[in-house]
Amino acid sequence: MRRNGLFITIALALFIGVLGLSWLTHGTGIVHNDPVRHIAIPNPLTMPLQVKAAYTDQDIFVRYRWPSPRPGIHHDILRYQGGKWVVQGEPVPGSEPNGLAEDRVAMMLDDGGVPEFARYGGYITIGDGITSFSQSADSKAVRAHPDFGQRLKQTEVSKYLPATRKVIGDWSALASEADLAAQRNAGYFLDLWHWRAHRSNPLNISDDQHVAAARFSDAGRSPYATNWNNDAKQPRVMMDQAKVGRKALRWDDIVQGKLGFGDVYFLRADQTVPFDPNAGWAEGDTLPRRILTPADASRGDIAVSGEGRWKDGYWDVTLRRKLDTGHPQDDKILHDQGAYQVAFSVHRNAQQERWHYVSLPFSLGLNRPADIVAPKFAGAAPDWQQPWTEVTLFYPGQVSWPHLNSAKHGGADSIKKGVPVKYRHTEAQLAHYGVEAEFADAIRRQWLLTMLAGVLLIAGFGIALNLLLSRKQGV
Amino acid sequence: MAAYHVVLVHFPIALWMTATLAILWRAVSDGALAKAIDRALVPLLTIGLLSGIAAFAVGLMVWPWETVSSTPMGRNHMLLASWTIAYWALLLVTRWLQGEAVWDGMMRWVMAGLAILGSVLLGITGTLGGHLVGIYTQVSDALRPLGWEVYTTFYVPTFTLAAIGVVAVLLIGLGVWASKERHAKVGSYSAS
Repeated sequence: MRRNGLFITIALALFIGVLGLSWLTHGTGIVHNDPVRHIAIPNPLTMPLQVKAAYTDQDIFVRYRWPSPRPGIHHDILRYQGGKWVVQGEPVPGSEPNGLAEDRVAMMLDDGGVPEFARYGGYITIGDGITSFSQSADSKAVRAHPDFGQRLKQTEVSKYLPATRKVIGDWSALASEADLAAQRNAGYFLDLWHWRAHRSNPLNISDDQHVAAARFSDAGRSPYATNWNNDAKQPRVMMDQAKVGRKALRWDDIVQGKLGFGDVYFLRADQTVPFDPNAGWAEGDTLPRRILTPADASRGDIAVSGEGRWKDGYWDVTLRRKLDTGHPQDDKILHDQGAYQVAFSVHRNAQQERWHYVSLPFSLGLNRPADIVAPKFAGAAPDWQQPWTEVTLFYPGQVSWPHLNSAKHGGADSIKKGVPVKYRHTEAQLAHYGVEAEFADAIRRQWLLTMLAGVLLIAGFGIALNLLLSRKQGV
Repeated sequence: MAAYHVVLVHFPIALWMTATLAILWRAVSDGALAKAIDRALVPLLTIGLLSGIAAFAVGLMVWPWETVSSTPMGRNHMLLASWTIAYWALLLVTRWLQGEAVWDGMMRWVMAGLAILGSVLLGITGTLGGHLVGIYTQVSDALRPLGWEVYTTFYVPTFTLAAIGVVAVLLIGLGVWASKERHAKVGSYSAS
């Protein structure tokens, strides 16, 4: 009997031991960064953003504050290396290793013209074939597409709205030109405020874009152009030494974060001269790859109020725009006592493309109840006495609108019924789901094996226990 | 089918929770009432298992396989449900085959421990089911500091799968070996 007790103890120890091992090791072995599949998982998966808004008879001000370990004020550059100018800072999955990707804050804004936006936020803009996903549309096919590539001049699939496609899971099934025009007239587009720490902030402006059949820039001159002469294989311009005090930056100064807001770390068009290949270039000389010029027309509608600055680990940026810009085909026109929907995103840690943090949709009320209430004031700038609206941003992973409406999403029926995402999911939950979506097949296989292994273990323990007890032959 | 599943799960939950109390009581008491309750244990566990299998089967019809196997919470709910059923089947079979011998010596504490573990599995399974229909509890928050974020799929790496397989085989082997040894002893006693 004593011997039997020992066997039962051993069986129990084995059973409990392997249960403990399972508990300690669960969730490991699959999720990892994989540049080949365009997978880079940020840590942490969520981050905070604080938002305030205020308005006058003419203008609206939106103020954003978010943590960032360092100010990402540089973007892609041209580095003189081995007698040649080399591009550095091309988009990579996750963080650019030399920090050559600017920080950004963006806000999509709607007035009800895109009803799903109020319920699902930016998820509705993530369609089939979107760039930087593990499986994105072939760029040759995009360029060759008669409407999307040829007429709309798109080179990749960016954000787009669901009704701009005839088929939900096909980026190329573009609605007719007439239907797209009618949608635009009906207000079926999202306004996109897009502040960039390098490509717009030095000019004290924000880029102004919108999302419809693609992510378009508003009409007017772009605030940035590419500093590259493809024929001569050299930069187009360099810094004007007479105005700036130098003809170029130094690579070490950039990667070591030695340049700040008091330095000229950008190429402003009026501070440049044509590039001189015989200017005595030295190894490590570096020129920004973007030439900044103030945007005009509709693209120049959004200004930075005061200065967009990083200090003590936080960016603090206030954007200002006319309530009525006069460009209703590009911008959402705002009104006193109006109610709107907004969703935010932040790029930080030298991350680009889809490696950003996004928010769920929030309501914005101009002097009326909403998640973010903008009080009306008179004067040049708000006093900002109202409390911040705390927004949790999350890493969205690779979750597309076609996926969310497919049989692979348990909430597809809820979407059909119009149940808002906030009703069923938190930001942290969505971040985890977003990561799992990037390893869907591998996780499903491992989960199945885990389920079967658990049943096998319980069965094995049961067999052992009963054979060990075996009352009829017990001695 | 979701509504029917929700109705059906009440039966195994009630029966297995009652069974847990019965086992715990019997583990700490040899009194007449504890023994009387113990006599009802096999029917209780049998009905619990049958209703559990019925609830599981109906649960499989709530969502298509493609959906439940693609959704972290769906996967977790199904995994825990299958383990819960297997686990309570183990308890039923053990009590059924071994009779009152399961209350001898240290086995009563083994039974008590197994019952508590079964209740924990049952509770987590129910909690995850609640999440799927939009009814949340704090159980998920309790599991997080213990190391499991319930919004991520519960799976183990391949080496742990191998360890589970090896341990399962070892357990069966241990039982078979002990059983044979006992048979041999019984044979030698009979011969002498």
